[in-house]
Amino acid sequence: MSSWLDYTINGLIVGNVYALVAVGLALIFGVSRLINFAQGSIYLVGAYIGWVAVVQLHTPLPLTIIVVAVAAALVGLIIERFGLRPLQNSVRIAPLLATIGISFVLDQLVMLTFSPNPRALPSQLPDVRFQVGGGTIGPLDLLIAGVGITSAVLLFVFLRYSKLGWAIRATAQDRDAAMQMGVDVNRVNQAVFGIAAALGGVSGLLVGMYYNQIDTAMSLQATLKGVVAEVVGGAGNVPGAVVGSLLLGLVESYGVAVFGTSYRNLFAFLLLVLVLVLRPNGLFASARQAPPEPLTGTFIAPSRPVRVPRWALLVAVGGFAILPFFPVSFYVLQTLINAWLLGMLALSLTLVAGTIGQVSLGHAALLAIGAYTSALLSLTLSVPVGLAIIAGGLMSAALGTALISPSFRLRGHYVSIATLAIGEIVSLVILNWESVTRGPIGISGIPPLSLFGYDLISATSIYWFSFAVMVVLALLQARLLGSHLGRSFRAIRDDDIAARAYGLSLNRYKSLAFIFGGFAAGVSGGIAAHLYSYINHETFNTQQSILALTVVILGGLGNVVGAVVGSVALVGLPEVFRIAAEYRILIYGIVLLLLVRFRPQGLLGTI
Amino acid sequence: MSNINRRTLIKSSLAAVLAGTALSRAAVADSSEPILLGVSGPLTGPNAQYGTQWKQGFDLALDEILAAGGINGRKLAYSFEDSQSDPRQSVAIAQKFVSDPRIVMELGDFSSPASMAASPIYQRAGLVQFGFTNSHPDFTKGGDYMWSTSVSQADEQPLLAKYAVKGLGLTKLAVLHLNTDWGRTSRDYFVKAAKEYGAEIAVTEGYIAEERDFRSTLVRVRDANPDGLILISYYSDGALIARQARQVGLKQTMCAASSVYSPKFLELGGDAVEDVHVGTRYFPEDPRPEVQKFIAGFKKKYNGLEPDAFNAYAYDAMNMAAAVVKIGGTDRRAIRDAFAKVKDVSSVIFGTATFDVESRRVKGAMNAELVVRKGQFALWDGKPT
Repeated sequence: MSSWLDYTINGLIVGNVYALVAVGLALIFGVSRLINFAQGSIYLVGAYIGWVAVVQLHTPLPLTIIVVAVAAALVGLIIERFGLRPLQNSVRIAPLLATIGISFVLDQLVMLTFSPNPRALPSQLPDVRFQVGGGTIGPLDLLIAGVGITSAVLLFVFLRYSKLGWAIRATAQDRDAAMQMGVDVNRVNQAVFGIAAALGGVSGLLVGMYYNQIDTAMSLQATLKGVVAEVVGGAGNVPGAVVGSLLLGLVESYGVAVFGTSYRNLFAFLLLVLVLVLRPNGLFASARQAPPEPLTGTFIAPSRPVRVPRWALLVAVGGFAILPFFPVSFYVLQTLINAWLLGMLALSLTLVAGTIGQVSLGHAALLAIGAYTSALLSLTLSVPVGLAIIAGGLMSAALGTALISPSFRLRGHYVSIATLAIGEIVSLVILNWESVTRGPIGISGIPPLSLFGYDLISATSIYWFSFAVMVVLALLQARLLGSHLGRSFRAIRDDDIAARAYGLSLNRYKSLAFIFGGFAAGVSGGIAAHLYSYINHETFNTQQSILALTVVILGGLGNVVGAVVGSVALVGLPEVFRIAAEYRILIYGIVLLLLVRFRPQGLLGTI
Repeated sequence: MSNINRRTLIKSSLAAVLAGTALSRAAVADSSEPILLGVSGPLTGPNAQYGTQWKQGFDLALDEILAAGGINGRKLAYSFEDSQSDPRQSVAIAQKFVSDPRIVMELGDFSSPASMAASPIYQRAGLVQFGFTNSHPDFTKGGDYMWSTSVSQADEQPLLAKYAVKGLGLTKLAVLHLNTDWGRTSRDYFVKAAKEYGAEIAVTEGYIAEERDFRSTLVRVRDANPDGLILISYYSDGALIARQARQVGLKQTMCAASSVYSPKFLELGGDAVEDVHVGTRYFPEDPRPEVQKFIAGFKKKYNGLEPDAFNAYAYDAMNMAAAVVKIGGTDRRAIRDAFAKVKDVSSVIFGTATFDVESRRVKGAMNAELVVRKGQFALWDGKPT
């Protein structure tokens, strides 16, 4: 039983580690209402600057911390000035996407400079350990706790009692009013980004020392855990972020204690969903806080959608349909198959994110549900592949909608975070539910695509099949959007209070959108499963969800043609830059940033 | 500026679109051109480090092959396509390779999802997919064009179990394993073998690849009260576990699978990996000439850098590919048939490698029982720690 003390201590220690990231995220969210997906990358940059300082320059610890803080703050200032400030008046989701682009660029720059091999970052503190419970605590544990708590306290005092702090809080409450009162909003933003980045950098350094290990893949995990901790505590609430982090650490630790290691992250994300459902603004949000604003809706940039003339669409569809008759390589066809599969996912997402305003960051879960359903039905019950794929679509529609329904009462960024969590939960359930999903071994030997008893195995036939399915789904969706139902969807997006006053049942319409969207995504996942013949829990991951979101924003939210155009562009771009090998993702990130900067309403505009 | 950009962009996209068609018309059997292998592997993304290590191993092997006169007088070369170890990209790369007549066989991909998603395409097109890191038991069941020099876990884990139970006298074991297809398969083989040797398995814990914090897992292990810890880990997570095990007060003997064998394990683990026992396929102080030649060559080419197991896998794979192409020539089908014909290819991992035609894998990996002493891997002297 004495082990419970150890579990508690371990939970608090790792909670402290999360707090270092969460505090910076909370600060930025407080002022800009922005989840900064680049925070993990700044943490990465901090860790590597720390490595240079410690291993190459042999700086003493206090100097190391100062060097890292200053350098990371500079990176933060550059991000704010050149990455985010130009987006001030664009769609509210543009800065979110920009931070994702910035994180690609930063991660890739670090990887190119330092190589992807993990490095040891030796701790500069003496290796003495104090016995606590059955385990030990070292000076670095205490330093991390000290930095986390001190920075939260200092920030709290700073925000409450200093002039700049007032300006920050005023900006957070009402940007326009603050501006009218003479607050230099840009300076406030800069200060916030500088402070948050300095914190992020130092956290990378300390965490690197704690594990004696840094590598270029550490940024996404840091962002994920930081976001969970921050939202649990109450987005934008600095002391809340610390408490949320400690709570997250404890829940994970107790989860491991009771259920075992492979369930660890499952409990982290379940905690998040639970908090969001019971207390949508986080545990420590003040009652006075203004309700979050929808991400899309009234904030959609006043753009006129590009109306693609009907004949042009017909020509394009016809052109793609007869493409295999021309001497194009199978590689091009396969790339386009990937684009059609992504297109189905994008149709699904553009409906729920663009038309009804529920920005989902966990859409890959719908793919996974469809893929597993279809694969298992055809393998174990010998259901014909065509039927199995349809069953996969239906299962995604039913299960996906049921899973996401608790988030229907959430608004703004909270919807994206809840869906992000649900995406992770689905992946972890697949990993752990071995009797059904075969766990980490995955499912191999999935039969190939077939239709009425004929196997579709050539690239050409798969191309036609997936293209036809996508076109049918797109036509259905276009019909849906043009109908009365589509108008109700948009009404909910544009002003949910007015829509409700007018008698629309929000939950029912949101469910309808997710049912249709879930079906399209499930079909895409099902086809992918039969195409690959092997899937496991990693086949459909968070990166896939982020890619889908990028596609629909690139194409134009709610825009059916845009979703398809975006898919072709985003599957095509990395292939076009394939010759650039290591620089590929860097170029992709830069292209993404430029698009967000110069065409935030998407290529075809928003419907 | 923008003009140049646009032009290069158009050029490169045209190149990509035309790749298949243009190449198919290019002279296929021009003997002044190098024989080309396709490599599908990660150069970016979370597994990027392994792609980089592959390249080092490949390049060293190619230098030596060229110095020895090439393949019947022709050069051997590879075209590395970055898949990020993502199945979506590995299938596109597969289509690219199978429709490029210059490619005579393919090596990779790194992870099982990426490799096995591409297998049907290689199998149908009749291009060998040589997955030299794919230990997933089903990989070579994808078809008769799937071959692998990855040490089957069915071979490796019983050796580790024997080391731990018979060699070190451990009787009650805790197994920590990476919860992937590889870790899971390995764990099952290990547990089975360890039980046969008479050990009791007190607890098994699977963790995901991104995990950094193991303290609570280790408290759980401590409560099971084992006398030995078995790590089925890669070097980075293995080092993390070892460090944190000491922090939560675990002093038991630790024994790790060959995949931790890397200079990085020592660097990342520091004092905490002292006395960790490692069963390995590859050990640089192994006096065998093929090993010493590999190490000397590697250090010379990469400024004194110590090679590790992944470098060795890639080096072996390239040498194996060269041996196969030497027999099979440039015909894809003949190359497949040549895999059954190659005999006793000099290999760092296997000593000499010959394929088992049934399983399409190589049997009889070399085994060295190592222990970390004074921050270095050393041959185990037979004394339990």
